[in-house]
Amino acid sequence: MKDIVRQKLSINVEIMDMLNKQIEKEAVSSSAYLAMASWCDHNGLENSAAFFYEQSSEEREHMLKIFKFINDNGGTAYAPEVKSVMHEFNSLEEIFEAALDQEIEITQSIHSLVQKCRKLNDFTTEYFLQWFVNEQMEEEQLMRRVLELFDLMRDEPLKYIDERIPGLREE
Amino acid sequence: MNTLFKAHNFTSYQCDSSRAFHIDFDHKLIKLSFCQLLAFREQIKNIDLETHFSGRNKHGIEILVLCNRSHIFIFDTFECIALKDLMEGTFAMLELNSLLTAGV
Repeated sequence: MKDIVRQKLSINVEIMDMLNKQIEKEAVSSSAYLAMASWCDHNGLENSAAFFYEQSSEEREHMLKIFKFINDNGGTAYAPEVKSVMHEFNSLEEIFEAALDQEIEITQSIHSLVQKCRKLNDFTTEYFLQWFVNEQMEEEQLMRRVLELFDLMRDEPLKYIDERIPGLREE
Repeated sequence: MNTLFKAHNFTSYQCDSSRAFHIDFDHKLIKLSFCQLLAFREQIKNIDLETHFSGRNKHGIEILVLCNRSHIFIFDTFECIALKDLMEGTFAMLELNSLLTAGV
């Protein structure tokens, strides 16, 4: 019997399902960053707002990258449904902490995907995911640097911390 | 055509010459490309059987539209369970075939 699945699809079906789940996670993440940007905008923290708008856009790009990868390899990517995300926060520090937790969650999810690829010998997807492994490392580092800023400047007005945010991304 | 899996009154087949799949729904045989089979699988996966038993799905039926809206099916709870088995079994057989083909 011919292996029609392999003729049509370059990636493993189970991995395709996991990638579709990852699309959902990236979409939720993008939406969560938008909510954070909105909170910052309403509280006069323009630089932090710009930071989260940029983060939201990056997460959407990640989502599209996976989306296109699935379709390019013969699979079917599904447009994600995003349910409600948190809009209420107590402080800017809490927002950045939530952002770091979110990034850690995405990293863990990417790592599980890589692990599954290795188990199923899906080298195509494993190679594709390497970019995400590096990207997640950078994202986590960025969020940690912002939180370190809060530790260093705890007694300073919030506006000063906000002014330092754009510089952290450029580093 | 090679039989892939049979569950209840439903059977899936693979046709090597047309590089397509067929599903026999007992009263109707439909042809699906691989992409359409994936889409069908997704629809079956998304059926929440719990709603059939909790009363949230009051009528206990699912309406599925397949192959770019070429076919419409109405399935009851038992058929939904059988379809879930069919898809699971079909894809397990396809994976087994891939492993055997790669091993040769």
